[in-house]
Amino acid sequence: MIRIKGLHKFYRTRHGLVEALRGIDLEVEEREFFVLLGASGCGKTTTLRCVAGLEKPDAGEIEISGKVVSSPGKGLNIPTEKRDIGMVFQSYAIWPHMSVFQNVAFPLIKGRKQVPKHLVSEKVSRALSLVKLDGLEERPATDLSGGQQQRVAMARAVVTEPKILLMDEPLSNLDARLREEMRLELKKITRSVGVTTLYVTHDQAEALSLGDRVCVMHEGEIVQIGTPQDVYARPANLFAAQFVGEMNFIRGKVTGPGQVDSPLGRLRCPVPPACQTGSEVTLAIRPEHLILLHHPSQGSEALEGKIASKNYLGDTSLFEVEVNGTALSVKLPGDSDFAVGQQIVVVVAPDRWRVYL
Amino acid sequence: MAAQGRTMGVLDRLLRNGPDGSTIFAGGLLIFLAVIVGAPAAMVALMSLRTGFPGEGGPLTLINFIRVYTDLSTYNVLLNTLLFATGTVVVALIFTVPLVWLLMRTDLPFKRTIYVLLTLGILIPVFLRTIAWILLLSPRIGLVNQWASQIFGLDHPLVSLYNLPGMAFIQGVSFVPGAFFMLAAAYRTMDPALEEAAYTAGVSKLRTFFWINIPITLPAIAAVMVYLFMTAIAVFEVPAIIGLPARILVLSSLIYTSTNPPTGLPEYGVAGAYGGVMLLAGLVLAYFYVRLVRQGKKYTVITGRGYRPREIALGRWKWPAMAFVMLYLSMEVFIPFLVLLWTSLLPYLQLPSAAALSSISLKNYRTIPDYTGALPFINTAILMVAVPFCAMLLSVLVSWVVIRSQVSFRGILDTVAFLPHAMPSILLAVGLGYLGLAYRNIFPFYGTIVIIIIAHTINWIAYGTRTTNSVMIQVHRELEEAGKVAGVSTPRVFLRIVLPLVAAGVFNSGIWISMLSYREVTMALTLYSRKNTVISTVVWQFWGSGWVPEVSALGVILVIFAVIVVGALRIGFSRVGEVGSSV
Repeated sequence: MIRIKGLHKFYRTRHGLVEALRGIDLEVEEREFFVLLGASGCGKTTTLRCVAGLEKPDAGEIEISGKVVSSPGKGLNIPTEKRDIGMVFQSYAIWPHMSVFQNVAFPLIKGRKQVPKHLVSEKVSRALSLVKLDGLEERPATDLSGGQQQRVAMARAVVTEPKILLMDEPLSNLDARLREEMRLELKKITRSVGVTTLYVTHDQAEALSLGDRVCVMHEGEIVQIGTPQDVYARPANLFAAQFVGEMNFIRGKVTGPGQVDSPLGRLRCPVPPACQTGSEVTLAIRPEHLILLHHPSQGSEALEGKIASKNYLGDTSLFEVEVNGTALSVKLPGDSDFAVGQQIVVVVAPDRWRVYL
Repeated sequence: MAAQGRTMGVLDRLLRNGPDGSTIFAGGLLIFLAVIVGAPAAMVALMSLRTGFPGEGGPLTLINFIRVYTDLSTYNVLLNTLLFATGTVVVALIFTVPLVWLLMRTDLPFKRTIYVLLTLGILIPVFLRTIAWILLLSPRIGLVNQWASQIFGLDHPLVSLYNLPGMAFIQGVSFVPGAFFMLAAAYRTMDPALEEAAYTAGVSKLRTFFWINIPITLPAIAAVMVYLFMTAIAVFEVPAIIGLPARILVLSSLIYTSTNPPTGLPEYGVAGAYGGVMLLAGLVLAYFYVRLVRQGKKYTVITGRGYRPREIALGRWKWPAMAFVMLYLSMEVFIPFLVLLWTSLLPYLQLPSAAALSSISLKNYRTIPDYTGALPFINTAILMVAVPFCAMLLSVLVSWVVIRSQVSFRGILDTVAFLPHAMPSILLAVGLGYLGLAYRNIFPFYGTIVIIIIAHTINWIAYGTRTTNSVMIQVHRELEEAGKVAGVSTPRVFLRIVLPLVAAGVFNSGIWISMLSYREVTMALTLYSRKNTVISTVVWQFWGSGWVPEVSALGVILVIFAVIVVGALRIGFSRVGEVGSSV
């Protein structure tokens, strides 16, 4: 379990003091896979490094498994090596002067949780078989491929059976195909070990597929915490909507309860109670929630438009549709037979709209 | 069959088109470089096989080797050289390793100032520092011993510098800044996550230092050790200034006295026989150095991460650490300079006292031109312009072939350009001097400033090409290719695209070479004549004549000029760290 309360961190730069973390509060449950998601510079890595004790926060409190490890207010900061953690680095940080075995055994021999000699090789081979590197024990670390180094780093991080596992963009240095493969395996490994995981990434697909819960961060603040489904279906604000997944954005003005005037025309949509009549809002809708029809059908709210461009991607086709001079992006199955220049009708289910102030 | 077919294909193409322009150019460059780098070594070999004066000819003989290596005192000299070099390396590392760690990894205060002072330390000539320490610690005239006998009434000197440990100490202290910049560069490329990974594995800071930091930097430390050792067996200034009066001979001072004996005739054959050992040792050590550097590269991982590793807080250790740095800087810069400054203001060397204070004057500074005339200053200025120009011009051309062209023998060219690193400067000068004496008609430069320019250029071409190589790598190949695609000829692409992009880096290292040439004395002295005297050889001769206050005054001027240059560079470029790196 990790509990972070009111975490602040400042950096001194050439341009003066920069506030990297502006009060972070979050709780990671026991055995949960918790993902910090955000663009570079949003403070996600700083948060992780504060939990690891590699950075010293300026205010707030960090608790690991019920024990306070960082509390600048009380002058408390337990050094990294005394925290019960394992960590996987973006560059893997495999020690180049050691073999695979030595790398994984090092925490057991020199670290906090030293084990009797005869147990070392047993634990190391168990960790290596967990990451499917059996038989590579004697290989020098510098002779490994990127994917193998990644696996060694995993094995080394879990070999001491830490209570929490920290991962700092561990997949970002792998090529696309290998990344997806490792993503699946990573989830299996952490689940089988049953470790509480804090995971940092800027890749939203990674965050959605890995996380039990996802925390979106922006400029040192938390934007939204929720399950992947939550974050994708109901972004908490405009930033989260822009950052997670694709969205069409349309400016509009509230004209009544559940009614917004926009360049597309008058739309029915779930206007939040905070928006009064007359306030400027932004409407958002995902490309896959727009439906195209050849002819208007009865009963549904329909917008007339024209196909402006088509982008065939195999499994899907992306269309750009022009409605009253506004471009909308629409995602359909790959074999959809709409042609550029064709007149069509766009259909929207009103509850798919998200409305932001 | 296939191989034969390929060979035929290559031959066919050559016959039809002839070799292309860049191959011809690279070939010419290789031949030129091989000649200027190889000639001094060939001369050393030649003189070792001859007797009599340069140019006398006569049959080749092994008599010099027999004479030298059947003489027991030779082995004494070799042992001295070994002890001196080992001691020097030990002293240098004792200061360098903690300095690198303190400056690269901890929150030590005043880092920028320390960097500047280390850079300055390289520019203060070793012989000046040695002289200052003699003024302080000489058994007879040294200030410390004078003071000790005044206070305690000692009838024997308290400390003396005239022994092997003393020599190794002064030389070792002088090596620290160079070793620092070499090691710091290696340290900078180490991924800080390697350390952090150990902390997160629950390994303490001390254990991490011993099991992670030290083993990973070991190849780099070993490379620096070999480099320092290679340099130490060839250095001349300390062995000459301290060793000769104390009758502690090492190879370099022996070679010098054989070719420039105080009495009697020069014995080039004997110098050649000693030089052969030195050259061989230099080549072997250079080979190990290159291998170690290559091995060290395997360990360095440069991450794309922007963040700087967290600095280790020294806490209450801050002031002891600062005291250590100050101790070193005092020995390297402050004490030598203050001793020289004090002595330069007095009519003769004496302890501070009321009487001494009342006799302070600038007389020694005013009288310097009367003794030297303008020639040494003019010659030094010529060196400071001509040497960097020639060295950098050659370096840029060589690097361009090595890094950019597809010429098959570009690796050989790079190796030849690196070889002067292995060539002791004293041998380089002795070889060139022999060439000038023996083959006057084809190499008519003996006794002129030109021969010193040539010696310096050869000596620093290794340093020059290392820096231009790294500058050139940073210029993306496609920038050049874009020029060629646009229809611009190869020489024009070089002039208009490559040169402007590398100009700043080349200029930086040119200035650095200019300063090294300015403070150089070994080669200038070995090739000395009345016509080509430079400031450093003047200081040397003043010292030989016992003109202590004048030496000090000229020394102070030398140092202040170096300070002005470093200061101007800092203000002008604010990149002086780069200028000083990788020496």
